[in-house]
Amino acid sequence: MRARLPAFLAGVLLAASALPNQTSAQSLMGVRGLGILGGAAGGRASAAGNLGIGLAGVEISATDPTAGSGLAFPTISVTMQPTWGEFELGQERGDVRVTRFPLIGIAFPVAAAGGVFTAAVSGQMDQRWAGEVPRVVDIGAGVPVSDRFEADGGISVLRAGWVQRIGSSFVAGLSAGAYLGRLDQTFDRTLDSLVLGGDVRNFVQEGAWRYSGAVVTAGASAAPHRLIHLAATVEWSSDIRATPADSARGEPGTYAIPLRVLAGATGRLTPRLALNASVAYQDWSGAKGFAAGATTGAKYSFGAGLEMQVVRGARRSLPVRAGYRRLAQPFRFESADPMETVWSIGAGLNLLESEGVRRGWLDIGLERGSRSSAPLVERYWRMTASLGISQF
Amino acid sequence: MTLRSAVAAIAVAVVASACQEQLPTSARDTLIPAGIVVEVVLPFDEFGSDLRVYGGFGRTSERGGGFVAHEFGAGTDPDAPARPGLQATTLIGFGGYPASASVRDTAGTTRTDSSLTFLSGRIYAAFDTVGSVAPGPVGLVVHEIADPWDRTTATWEFAVDTAGDPTPWSAPGGGSPQEIGRATWDRAQGDSVFVSVDSALVHAWADTARDFHGIRLEASTPGTRLELRGLGLRLQTRPSLNPDTLLDLAVSARSSTFIYDPPAPPPAPGEARVGGVPAWRTVLNVAEPADLNGPPSLCAAVPCPVRIEDRHVSYAGLQLFSRVPAAAYAPSDTLAIEVRTVLAPAFLPKSPLGPSITGLTGERLAPEWFAPPAGEVVEIPVTGLVRGLLNEETSDGARASRAIALLSVLEPLSLEYVSFESEDPARRPRLRLILSFSEGGG
Repeated sequence: MRARLPAFLAGVLLAASALPNQTSAQSLMGVRGLGILGGAAGGRASAAGNLGIGLAGVEISATDPTAGSGLAFPTISVTMQPTWGEFELGQERGDVRVTRFPLIGIAFPVAAAGGVFTAAVSGQMDQRWAGEVPRVVDIGAGVPVSDRFEADGGISVLRAGWVQRIGSSFVAGLSAGAYLGRLDQTFDRTLDSLVLGGDVRNFVQEGAWRYSGAVVTAGASAAPHRLIHLAATVEWSSDIRATPADSARGEPGTYAIPLRVLAGATGRLTPRLALNASVAYQDWSGAKGFAAGATTGAKYSFGAGLEMQVVRGARRSLPVRAGYRRLAQPFRFESADPMETVWSIGAGLNLLESEGVRRGWLDIGLERGSRSSAPLVERYWRMTASLGISQF
Repeated sequence: MTLRSAVAAIAVAVVASACQEQLPTSARDTLIPAGIVVEVVLPFDEFGSDLRVYGGFGRTSERGGGFVAHEFGAGTDPDAPARPGLQATTLIGFGGYPASASVRDTAGTTRTDSSLTFLSGRIYAAFDTVGSVAPGPVGLVVHEIADPWDRTTATWEFAVDTAGDPTPWSAPGGGSPQEIGRATWDRAQGDSVFVSVDSALVHAWADTARDFHGIRLEASTPGTRLELRGLGLRLQTRPSLNPDTLLDLAVSARSSTFIYDPPAPPPAPGEARVGGVPAWRTVLNVAEPADLNGPPSLCAAVPCPVRIEDRHVSYAGLQLFSRVPAAAYAPSDTLAIEVRTVLAPAFLPKSPLGPSITGLTGERLAPEWFAPPAGEVVEIPVTGLVRGLLNEETSDGARASRAIALLSVLEPLSLEYVSFESEDPARRPRLRLILSFSEGGG
């Protein structure tokens, strides 16, 4: 059982990942622009209130291209993120339940070159929501209709990178990737057959788009002191193009993605306690291609948290984490800037550690978050579970 | 439980709980496109052509049941006051008497008794109390038919009307029969009447040396048209196994039909017709709706002209204006008609027809719509047809036919038929469309 447990857990998570419609988040905040920024943090980062940059130790990260620098063996990591939430929109109340897989990554050390090859697919933007409203259309007489609109889609990033250690305390990383995604929209109108007579057919209008674009991330990390870890990245994106897909109807679109800068740091306060802080800057206010007033003026996201090793053995450890994040979403629901705040706790189980480098881990974070953009308020519980396996 | 097992259990529980998804679904009006719905009524010239009427489908013997009528509708047609009323009579021939019956003997055991004594008989007739037209109690007469007749070809004039050997009745309307008995049917008393048959006649009909051609039921009260639901002969029978018991045994019918006079008049100019026995069908060609340049409400919302696609058609209804048929054949009960595509228009009137567009039950038409002054708009849903024309194929992938036939459901359905206007410019068939578009016209 000792050898088979990680494989079993991996099997469970990977099998779940094969389920359909499990890759995107769901939020009414996703009605405008390119949707809601989903984030690609793993279980450790989400529990520790980190934005995915500047955590000391071994990570497989979509946002920090240097995070895998310490890996000595091939490693795979899968993250699963179920969410249970509710929303308020004026007098309206509703529930949300969704599971996504925000990050699947691998790292492959190349000893001869002294670096690590990384590859990851991660969630970026999510556009899954629905609306259903009864109406009455006037065609001489009032005809009751039921309209349903459903959006199903999102944007992921597939990227490959290289991490190179330079000297004993400096690491540089570079990754390049592509935006991949699709948006399907369906408008389904049901007319009342009791008023019109028999043989009434629904009116269905479908639209489908494929997203494409490129993204390049350059980053560096350093340990200027044995108790301090610093990291920063710059992420450049090309415009994201939305191209009508298949035979469905839709107008093409081009959307500018602003430069994103992230920085983070971890400081070891005691042998068992570490404090991390991270910040991200991305100015959407001038982004082109979006409807007037859709993008926000909010620019900064930040997070901070603690990680404490409550159990530390020769080959295993059990850290607990807590944190807080404040996230700037790029698109407004109506006219108010959205803001998301998240409190989090979590724990990890480092199944096998050697010389401070973990080779197998299970990280779980539990978050209580709320995001608002008046008149919409959403609250959620979110669990993030990451499994990492080395020497597979 | 070890720590690893607990972790594994938690992981499995998380995965299992995450498998149910629920989209955030809002009822906020502003989040959902408004959509556009317009009603368009196309005149006949913009969708139809070549409307014609074909008759002669089916026979009275295929109808089942029957009719009896006496001077029904005489002198009530404004356009033909001299038209005589409808005479109709129902004929039925019987097979042999029952050869055996299951009888409970004196010991209480059920056995087959093949030694039966037929004492007397009763002819029964059951009527459709809704569809029958009678000013009051109706006199009925039952006759024994003297002439041999053929159920599939018998008409008012001919007992046998085959192409090579037509044989007229000895007198029109079923020959010169011998009266068996009379009865009076009163709707208020029930739906059935009985006419007694004495033992001598029952024995005579059983004599194979004597030709028994069946019975004929006719009405004697002027202004009546009754629709039969059943007509038959039942025998009062004494079984040998239990002589103290009387059985009421039915004699199986060998053949039945009804004959009537005069035949339905041919369609008048400008008349489309559906129904009757033999049945009439109305056939017309239809074309897919052209690009729309109106109504103003549509062009205000989307750029005109608008190209209509099949998905835009939420509803299509063929509108027909009712017309008063000949009084003798005017409907007295709901009639159901349907629309079918004509699969091989070149072979009309014998072209095979496609499946019904209007479903199994068809479109039900109220009789009062065809009473003077008529002019009611009858709308038959044809959404599938119009969408098929726009898509150039039917739902099962076949190429859509551009000819359709209007016919009665389960043809021939009734002696009655319905008429519609076909040439009056203000009352020609129309096509009503309910079209849906998204904002922007897609």
